[in-house]
Amino acid sequence: MKRQKKLVVALVLLTAFQSLILFAGFFAPYDFAAQDREQPFAAPTAVHFVGPQGNVHIRPCVYNLEDSVRCYPLHFFVRGTPYKIAGVFTSHLHLFGVEAPGHIFMMGSDAYGRDQLSRFLFGGQISLLAGLIAAILSVSIGIIVGGIAGYYGGWVDELLMRGGELFLALPWLYLLFAVRAALPLHISQWEVFLLLVSVMGLIGWARPARLIRGVVLSAKQRNFVVAARGFGASDMYLLRRHVLPQTYGVVITQITLLIPLYVLAEVTLTFLGLGVGEPMPSWGSLLSSLQQYYVLSSYWWMFLPALLLIPLFLIFYTAADALQEIHKTVTL
Amino acid sequence: MKPSPKSEANRTGPLLRVASLSKHHVQQRTFSRTEFAVSAFQDVDLELFSGKTLALVGESGAGKSSLARCLALLERPDSGKIEMEGENLLALNRKALFGIRRRVQMIFQEPVSAMNPRLTACEIIAEPLAIQREGTRLQQRERALELMEQVGLEANWERRLPFEFSGGQRQRLAIARALALKPSVLILDEALSNLDASNQALILELLAELQISHSLAYLHIWHDLRLVSQFADEVAVMYQGRIVERKKTHDLFASPEHSYTKELLATVHSVESILLERSA
Amino acid sequence: MPQCIRWNRSCWSGLHKKGPMKYFARRFFHATLLLLAVSIFSFTILQLTPGDFFAPMGLNPQISSRTIAGLRSQSGLDRPLPVRYGHWLRDVLKGDLGRSFAYNSAATPLLAVRARNTLLLTGTAMLLAWLIAIPLGMWSAVHRGKWGDRAAGVMTSGLLAVPDLVLFLVLLLLAVRTGWFPTGGMVSAWFSDLNAWNKVKDVAEHLFLPALGLAIATLPTMLRHVRSAMIEVLEAPFIQAARAHGIAERRVLFRYALPVAANPLISLFGFSVGTLLSASLLVEVILSWPGIGPLLVDAIMAKDVYVVIGTVMLSSLFLVAGNLFADVLLFATDPRIRVE
Repeated sequence: MKRQKKLVVALVLLTAFQSLILFAGFFAPYDFAAQDREQPFAAPTAVHFVGPQGNVHIRPCVYNLEDSVRCYPLHFFVRGTPYKIAGVFTSHLHLFGVEAPGHIFMMGSDAYGRDQLSRFLFGGQISLLAGLIAAILSVSIGIIVGGIAGYYGGWVDELLMRGGELFLALPWLYLLFAVRAALPLHISQWEVFLLLVSVMGLIGWARPARLIRGVVLSAKQRNFVVAARGFGASDMYLLRRHVLPQTYGVVITQITLLIPLYVLAEVTLTFLGLGVGEPMPSWGSLLSSLQQYYVLSSYWWMFLPALLLIPLFLIFYTAADALQEIHKTVTL
Repeated sequence: MKPSPKSEANRTGPLLRVASLSKHHVQQRTFSRTEFAVSAFQDVDLELFSGKTLALVGESGAGKSSLARCLALLERPDSGKIEMEGENLLALNRKALFGIRRRVQMIFQEPVSAMNPRLTACEIIAEPLAIQREGTRLQQRERALELMEQVGLEANWERRLPFEFSGGQRQRLAIARALALKPSVLILDEALSNLDASNQALILELLAELQISHSLAYLHIWHDLRLVSQFADEVAVMYQGRIVERKKTHDLFASPEHSYTKELLATVHSVESILLERSA
Repeated sequence: MPQCIRWNRSCWSGLHKKGPMKYFARRFFHATLLLLAVSIFSFTILQLTPGDFFAPMGLNPQISSRTIAGLRSQSGLDRPLPVRYGHWLRDVLKGDLGRSFAYNSAATPLLAVRARNTLLLTGTAMLLAWLIAIPLGMWSAVHRGKWGDRAAGVMTSGLLAVPDLVLFLVLLLLAVRTGWFPTGGMVSAWFSDLNAWNKVKDVAEHLFLPALGLAIATLPTMLRHVRSAMIEVLEAPFIQAARAHGIAERRVLFRYALPVAANPLISLFGFSVGTLLSASLLVEVILSWPGIGPLLVDAIMAKDVYVVIGTVMLSSLFLVAGNLFADVLLFATDPRIRVE
């Protein structure tokens, strides 16, 4: 039961994080592309409770870089730049903000004066979505290929598995890069995103397919499948009712394992300049400036997005581990 | 043109006739291209009569099970005929076969693997009806409950999963499922092997009852001659893929001809007492 | 009766003296076919991309289209795909991997040097990782459940959660901030002036951080697998029997358990080559180690197509060779395979 508790905790945390990302616009004080050229590489804004005259406020306020005279109060539930929730609903409501020319960079700003926190939240939308879609795509292809190979056997099986071997004969990152290289470098951001997601999904089917094929093979030979065939069941019926339901466990564990992998793949590609381009935010683009030494050594806050990724992946892997253990005990 | 099971009892001819059935497996030596044929069974002749049980006895091996599957139309033999009412079942196309399937049903040795562990008892029994599209869901469920009672299971257990039943109860479930389509032939492939002695006796009783009430022909595959006298009208002995002897039970026990039959009989404790029992 | 001796390889019938040769010939042939298929695959998809190396030149009004066309036909980029592949294959078999447009030189020497560097890096990292994983994994398995094992488990999970990217950036930060390690490259600027021993030292200094990073990146999974393999072996009846005979624990562990655990571990080695190579790409780029990783990235940006193909093929070659090596090792260490 400890495993189940771990799983539940992990899932709760994941959902909390996902909601944060989903409502990125609400939690972020600024738009991801909003630049403040006056504030390049600003350190995280300190929040004060003591005003310039020495009086204590309940409402925190922030100082501008230029003058330490005026302390701009922090307001909650402010109306700011519009944003879209899930690409459909528009809203103006932000959790917190300060009046211009005050600014609040909770995680500092980058070379163009863009708020890192906002970019982190919006970037999460891109990176996590990419990972999710690609993982589902890969596993879906895996189900189809593995199901057909395992069920029908013979030369179809040979052919499909040999094909899969081809995809496994390249280190996955090299394979990803190779296919990326085949795509045009400079196209619109949405096209890049779609292309990226499709590519990741299309190359990663081999391992899930092999696992699913194994399950289908053993399920096919179980006597209840033979018995159902004795009643005159068609292949479609057998697959749908008896064989494929046996694969659910493998499918779920594969998806949970692949999501972090693909998120990381997207982040890596964007980090190296081969992924989604500006101005679409991605965790990769947030981290790419760190390749320059002066950024790395002088502006410590630029490292924060990297550090924030660690607990996220910890949660992912914990959930994946817990699921694997549960699945193992169930099938045995 | 399907006579009801009840009228079968009046017919004098065999319900199912098997002639010269043969099948071989193909094995391939690893790392060699040469394949060689291993015979599963050869030139098998059998006859099944309504209301009677034919026991097929022989050593454990793929031969008997393979034969059972061929008769249950789950595998194809290489040559020979399986006739039911004069029609060669092996010559039928897929569509015609779909209708014939209901006539011959099979009970497996391992009840656990023969049932999908995720389905409830009711769903398992009703599955053949669902596949053959007989009746509405409601009617299928009613029929399933009926069958449960016939095999001695309580109807309010319908929602239970297979693992919640004991071994003997699971075989009852399997029998109920096999009866769903009102077959005329039931093939039992070592169906009692995994049960303990008391359960075996109970199931045999049930099978005997059902045989009378449904006018079923049984092909009961078994591995030795010990229980055979209790349930078989005729015995066929299989040795190395061939039927070496086929006689009425009493005749077989009284005067066995083939050496293998004699070997099998030697394992039976007191042949005389059985003979005595039979002649009583 | 043919018996399956290893669960993850094909079934074997009895082997006689000709057996090993036949087996390896088969594996080798299979590997070659695979590489060939990979080459066709990469070649096809890469040549399908619109635009080539000379395309950006078209944007420059000062360069006439005739010049560009001339450059194209000179480099053979205007021929149909199968012809180009045929030429490429023929050249590869002669040892010529094509031409780098970006560097304006033959691709082979370029790739060879980079490949050597990558091998050095991955080899060292692999060695390092195994040197830590095996003892630590064995120790964890033996002390299973106790606080030492638990602590190691927690650290492993924690380390696993750190994305490779972040790990390598942290190491870069370390190098930049502290100045203890060089921040990039394989050799210092004054390398040619050094004597032999100092040359080795210089490379080692540059090698340290990337190899360490790569080793740490692959360590957690390896550690887990070593641990679980050892646990499985230690629970086997023959180990209990050995203990019951009074054999010292240490001897049981090293003379009895470890050789049997070698089988799954060697298979693990085969699998880990792939992930190691993928991670090496990243570490090479971030820590500026001159291997095939940064070469690939640059070549992609520049659409230097033969270099891209060459790099991809090299990475595949390493992977396939690694697996083949694992097969050889498996054959050599598992006595069950050699005996009839």
